[in-house]
Amino acid sequence: MRISRSAVSAVVACCALVGASACSGSGSGGGSSSGSGTYTFWDPYPQFDSSAAWAKLVASCGTQAGVTLKRTALDTTDLNNKALLAGQQGSLPDLMMVDNPFVSTLVQAGVLTKTSDLGLDTSALQKNIVGAGTTDGAAYGIPIGANTLALYYNKTILTQAGIDPASVKDWASLTAALKKAKAAGKKGITFGAIGTEEGSFQFLPWFWGAGGDLNKLDSPQGVAALTLWKDWVSQGLAPNDVLSNTQTTSWQEFATGQYAFGENGTWQLANAEKAGFDYGIITIPGQNGGSAPVPTGGEFVTVPVQKDTSRYAVDKKIMECLTSNTNFLSTDTTLSYIAPVSAVQDQQVQQNPALKPWVSAIAAARGRTSGGLGTKYPVISEQMWTAVQGALSGGKSPQSAMEAAQKGVASHQS
Amino acid sequence: MTSRVLRSRRNTVIGIVLTAVMLFPVYWMINVSLTPQQDMRKSPPDLLPLHPTFTGYRAVLDDQLPYLWVSLLIGLGTVTLTLVLSAPAGYALAKLRPRGAGLLGLLLLIAQMVPGIVMAMGFYGIFLNLGIMNTWWGLVVADSTIAVPFGVMIFAAFMSGIPDELLSAAKVDGANLWRTFTAIVLPVSRNAVVTVSLFSFLWAWSDFVFANTLDAGGDMRPITLGIYKYIGNNNQEWNAIMATAVIASIPAAVLLVLAQRYVAAGVTAGAVKD
Amino acid sequence: MSTAHADDLHRSAATSRAPSEHADPPPAPSRRSRWVPRGSQLAAWAFLLPVVVYLGAFYAYPLYRNVDLSLRHYTVRSFVQGGAPFSGWDNFRQVIDNPTFSTALRNTMVFTLVSILFQYVLGLALAVFFHRGFRLAPTLRALFLIPWLLPLIVSASTWSWMFNSESGVVNYGLHLVGVGKVDWLTSPHWALTSVIIANIWIGIPFNLVILYSGLQNIPAELYEAASLDGATGWQQFRRITFPLLRPVSAITVLLGLIYTLKVFDLIWIMTRGGPGDSSTTLSTWSYRYGFGSLLPDFGPGAAVGNILILIALAFGLFYIRLQRSQPA
Repeated sequence: MRISRSAVSAVVACCALVGASACSGSGSGGGSSSGSGTYTFWDPYPQFDSSAAWAKLVASCGTQAGVTLKRTALDTTDLNNKALLAGQQGSLPDLMMVDNPFVSTLVQAGVLTKTSDLGLDTSALQKNIVGAGTTDGAAYGIPIGANTLALYYNKTILTQAGIDPASVKDWASLTAALKKAKAAGKKGITFGAIGTEEGSFQFLPWFWGAGGDLNKLDSPQGVAALTLWKDWVSQGLAPNDVLSNTQTTSWQEFATGQYAFGENGTWQLANAEKAGFDYGIITIPGQNGGSAPVPTGGEFVTVPVQKDTSRYAVDKKIMECLTSNTNFLSTDTTLSYIAPVSAVQDQQVQQNPALKPWVSAIAAARGRTSGGLGTKYPVISEQMWTAVQGALSGGKSPQSAMEAAQKGVASHQS
Repeated sequence: MTSRVLRSRRNTVIGIVLTAVMLFPVYWMINVSLTPQQDMRKSPPDLLPLHPTFTGYRAVLDDQLPYLWVSLLIGLGTVTLTLVLSAPAGYALAKLRPRGAGLLGLLLLIAQMVPGIVMAMGFYGIFLNLGIMNTWWGLVVADSTIAVPFGVMIFAAFMSGIPDELLSAAKVDGANLWRTFTAIVLPVSRNAVVTVSLFSFLWAWSDFVFANTLDAGGDMRPITLGIYKYIGNNNQEWNAIMATAVIASIPAAVLLVLAQRYVAAGVTAGAVKD
Repeated sequence: MSTAHADDLHRSAATSRAPSEHADPPPAPSRRSRWVPRGSQLAAWAFLLPVVVYLGAFYAYPLYRNVDLSLRHYTVRSFVQGGAPFSGWDNFRQVIDNPTFSTALRNTMVFTLVSILFQYVLGLALAVFFHRGFRLAPTLRALFLIPWLLPLIVSASTWSWMFNSESGVVNYGLHLVGVGKVDWLTSPHWALTSVIIANIWIGIPFNLVILYSGLQNIPAELYEAASLDGATGWQQFRRITFPLLRPVSAITVLLGLIYTLKVFDLIWIMTRGGPGDSSTTLSTWSYRYGFGSLLPDFGPGAAVGNILILIALAFGLFYIRLQRSQPA
């Protein structure tokens, strides 16, 4: 999941403008050549220090492959930037965990090795999860797991307002439920519509749930999704501050116990247990019923291109170790992800029945860059969150906001 | 006499009120650091942390204390390097009138406009090639780039106020330029020294970009990077992030207060002596 | 007290600069007759050498890169692999033709000028106030610096917390005095105001410290003489403090301008430049190009950055002119 922390990442990647350094070509592969017995590994999990289970797993996979694996943890956005910079300087690590929508950008930059070139096979993994790391039919990494979005609801409020969660089957019934909650003196729904990738991630289930196509933002379906959000905000069913909500702050709102529904991710499960009220989870409904397709989040284990190709053999061993079924189970439990293999998913549900709705949500999920979008996605996504911001802040009608967005995409591609 | 005492007391009260207004956001940060997750978006907010949670602080105290020393080391290192580089340059620009001083002044100005991230990315390449990546003193060098142009300009502005007669007198007494600089210019410029030291310390202490780009994999990391531990992949632990900021600022704040007292005393004494 | 007398006071104030000078200071030397030691060119550059080397070593390269990026057509691929084609002014043209440009330029001007005005005035007022030297003054003055100890991620997040329209303490305060809810960060009408308020707060300590140091350099005898002559506090400020503080004020405002033009992280954290472009400044826009999406677009980002550098340069030249025209 890419998600959030953008605030933090902003500072991390701080200050504006431009980038880059260079001495291009003069870099001598610093990161990876620090000794043949030492391999380097980057991941976006700074929350895990060296005593965490994840860090121990990484270290032990190194040991099993006969090398010392030196791990560096960076914030996601920072890791993305640093990957480009290190690519330029020829100092990429041996292995790198990459947020899925950024894989296609790195592929375009020419810094990732095809998984098949390493002699690894991804056919046993769930197709839609692998899809996010696939460009022109070739996979460029193995997903460590996936997460996605659903609707959390507050059981107390729903009972109080006389809402049956099972009655929420499409947009109309959801809006009706929100109105009931409001009539009962509570608040309807909270989500994150911030002007970053996170905002697009949250909007996609509604966009896709209306039957929208990312290649045509201003289709009636796309406009319908934006209209739904705008109406919620203007009718007071969703708070105005969704415009500045990240998924974390949106969760904090839901955690106050004042909101009937909250759109949020798999990773909030642990927090939900601590929230102090009973909660339930339903999948996000499509406009006319059924479950809306949701976007997948989560990282891929990738192997950046190395000058010294003899390193790939060890990289392969480490990758196999990290993505073995046993390790999927423990890693995805720690990260609160769903494994990309159905056998492991079954084990996860056995361990924790609360994961069941998430497993079915993942089954219906799509990669953001899938479907041949690749690096077109970032451009579309930026226009999409801009449209959401424009419409929700009252400045524009959903129709004109989406039209402007589509124009923006077109002008970028021309 | 009594009216003077009264006025002083009134000023103190006004001063306290002003400081309280100024520091309200800081208080709010502390309040948030003590607020349990489920109350963070409570409406209306609690003005006092009535149900404080100390989980953030516990986590920070367990994990972060060693980093404080590194931050201190880097801060003091940056102050030293900045002073050594910028004080002589400020003197030269203000008093020695070198040809090309105007151009250098403009360059310093432009230098300050280069965004931090561009500097950091530039350093990334330079540091890799020099092999000083992930070292604390490499970070001192990087941090002082924020402060050196500032220092030169501040020193130049303050030193241009030193009367030329003072310097001519030293010359008559047979002091060479260096001696004039160390024995007269520097002591007279104590205020500028304090100002530059203060800001170079503050910049180094709160720097995030350079630390993150150039020292993220190092063994000696400053405390600002400690915040990272609470930025989960999908979630931010705001209790702990705020708590880190609070804990990181306490020793530095104490240092500032002590330094100000010392400096205030020093300046008064200096004025009498001069 | 007559005007003529006040002018005398002004004149004597303007000519005397340091505590060491007592009665009857000589008239201020003109620029030509400045004290310049012999053989000074070499010596001057010897004093400057460390900084020049330092600038060359650490700034030349990033600056060069910034210009290079803005004059080439970069994709992520050519950024990493090299070989981006030279594209002349294309990036600049693209940026200037973009409708965001005029909004960002206007926002930058408003943000910078309003911030500077308030930071300077409040900073100066506080400096004068603390200069009175009452009990606890040094401690309180030191406490004013605390905002600078916090990483910006924390202080900016705190402000967005406080400005939150649903649960923020600012709206709560307004509610208590009977004012309705304001969408500080999420309304296009208020977003820029909100980030300006936060930025003024951050800038006050900077102005306070530098101006306070400047005040300390003004000899106390001047004030003593003035009050013996019966000058009121305001007259003393106008005739002594303000004119004597001019060089320090000028550098404070100049540096403030530069730092304010550069501000991006505060705005980015609080509003992301939104909603829409309502709080987008040139520096947040530049950041947005380079790092705001999953597909960096470094060329136009660098172009915006260079336009900002030119704006700062214009202010710098203005400052240098001002300094030259200044007596003594």
